[in-house]
Amino acid sequence: MNPSLKLALLVLIALEISFTHVWTVNVALIVVSLILMVWGHVTFKRLAMLTLIPAFFGAALVWSLTLRGTASNHFLLVIFTRMVAYVYMGGWFAQTTNPLTLTRSLEQNAKLPSKFAYGFLAAFNLMPKIQAEVATIKAAALMRGQVLHFWSPQLYFKVILAAMNWSDQLAAAMTSHGFVEDAPRTHATEIPLVTRDWIMLVGSLVLVQIGLFVGLP
Amino acid sequence: MVTVSIHNLTFTYPQQSRPVLNAVNASFPAGQFSLITGVSGGGKSTLLKLIAGLLPTDAPGITFNDRSLTEVPATQRSKTVAMLFQEPSTQFTMDTVANELQFALENQQVPADEIPERLTAALDFIGITALRDRKLMHLSGGEQQKVALAIIVAMDSAVILLDEPFASIDPTTRLVLLQRLAQLSRERGKTVILADHDLSGYTDYVDRLTVLADGHLTHLSPEATQERLATFAPAKLRLQHVTVPADNQEALIQGTQLSLTANGRTLVTPQNLGLFAHHTTLITGPNGSGKSTLFRSLVKLGHYQGVITYDGTDINRLKRRPYARQVALMFQSAATQFLNVTVDEELTLSLKNSYADHFTPAMVTQLLTELNLADRREQIIYTLSSGQQKKLQLLCMLIMAPDVLLLDEPFKGLDYASLQTVIQILKRVQQDLDLTYILVSHQLSGLDTFIDYHLQLSDQHLTYQGVRA
Repeated sequence: MNPSLKLALLVLIALEISFTHVWTVNVALIVVSLILMVWGHVTFKRLAMLTLIPAFFGAALVWSLTLRGTASNHFLLVIFTRMVAYVYMGGWFAQTTNPLTLTRSLEQNAKLPSKFAYGFLAAFNLMPKIQAEVATIKAAALMRGQVLHFWSPQLYFKVILAAMNWSDQLAAAMTSHGFVEDAPRTHATEIPLVTRDWIMLVGSLVLVQIGLFVGLP
Repeated sequence: MVTVSIHNLTFTYPQQSRPVLNAVNASFPAGQFSLITGVSGGGKSTLLKLIAGLLPTDAPGITFNDRSLTEVPATQRSKTVAMLFQEPSTQFTMDTVANELQFALENQQVPADEIPERLTAALDFIGITALRDRKLMHLSGGEQQKVALAIIVAMDSAVILLDEPFASIDPTTRLVLLQRLAQLSRERGKTVILADHDLSGYTDYVDRLTVLADGHLTHLSPEATQERLATFAPAKLRLQHVTVPADNQEALIQGTQLSLTANGRTLVTPQNLGLFAHHTTLITGPNGSGKSTLFRSLVKLGHYQGVITYDGTDINRLKRRPYARQVALMFQSAATQFLNVTVDEELTLSLKNSYADHFTPAMVTQLLTELNLADRREQIIYTLSSGQQKKLQLLCMLIMAPDVLLLDEPFKGLDYASLQTVIQILKRVQQDLDLTYILVSHQLSGLDTFIDYHLQLSDQHLTYQGVRA
């Protein structure tokens, strides 16, 4: 499916289930996302993480609400399934979408200004460097007798300084590679946006509407 | 064919009083390979960035065939001028080599059907077709620089600027890049302008040398250029006092079947290596040969194969915190090591966390005076010059007084007087606290009486130099 439409579909469904209380639809979304993730060869370890983390936080939330004793069982069920549905849908999107294809699609199909699209991509590709920098900063601080934890403000101060430096270098390099903000570009890789994508978007939305309408008390 | 002319160019950074470039006049003819040299911090990078249009300036004065860059449509500027940067890894937007080339060509609005052909031709020219679908972040610095040059070739830029492009790459890659650059200038009429402070190995490639000193540019005649390049010898190491450690000498840090690789490139083949306590060991070797990687391995920051022991214990079994107290690294980039904002705060932190009771605030004041930093205690670290940062970093690490101090290019950016002071201080502290120093340095003058052992890294092997004790 076209990445931009995929993203739009997820955002719309997420908004809808935020304002409705139909747990059957949430469960249906969980099942569909799970099937799509298995279909998309997401590893078992990833799936386990995607299940355990929302299950833990969902359970904690349900437990604390039960203690207060005002929420109905139906509400608790909705809250819990909604949380898992969010994570599963997000997981399906993140695990089956290539960032470069998404960027190209946002630029070509959704007409997002190219400076956002490619700025995001450059930052994304810098992630491994940021991780290495965090390790270096921690080690360098340790050698000054200072232990930096992931919550230490000093760590973030240093990382932000490094990132600011890189962002200047990156901006210069993008300019040097001919990138001009908001100037037209050619596209050697076209991201197709075909009728099938629209049918899938509209079809999925209609199904969710039907589910919500039928399931409403 | 584009000639770059500079008329009466003066440039001052905001909030600085002295201009970096002062009424510069120069001309870089098309089809020539020009080399700009000068001390580090002398304005070479600034000049290149100004030519590339990467620094905002109101001053006209740089023209390409009598046209200024602002007259060229923004999307076509990369056809006029492109730059290759010193830091290899932060010059790419995309994930893979092919995607980055495609990105650059799309920016130039090259028709979609011509892009694959130009992409392939550029990779062929540099000889990196095999890297086509590799991830940029997984390439070595040298390979990244080759990709950066391939992009410039694909973009067909008339003027090619290079800012110290060989600072962190190995000699073989450097030679390949130099050959391609010479070919680009001679066969394709490109204007190549390269800035470097190290003049070794340029004799066969460079047409003209330009010297940037005190904000002024001077072109040398072809004869003077050849003479200057021929007589430039990389600083020769004259160490009279180094010895090879005796075979039965107990090593403090012992590497067994130690080998180092970086991004798939072998740096050191398996060997045994001992490093000795209470002495000063100097490690030398070409750029990118693995000296910094060795240091990172010794402080558990890098990957290595084999075993490294400290005082008989495998360092993998030592906890980071206590180990950092024993073996500490003074990083090459000074800013990495600072945690606070002002000079005083930084020194207070080191005094508070120091492992030795040796240093007192009075002593620190005395040391600051010797290092010419006494009047800068309230200053923000990041506004100090690189040499001043280096001195402060050294002082902070010395106050910490770890048993073994690894120093990665501790003399970078220091003038000769500062260098002498720093060496004196290092010697004094070593005597007082019985420290072990292991250093990597390209700066070799004045080190003779300081160094006990000299390890040379060449052909992927570390060997002790000097006479047998």
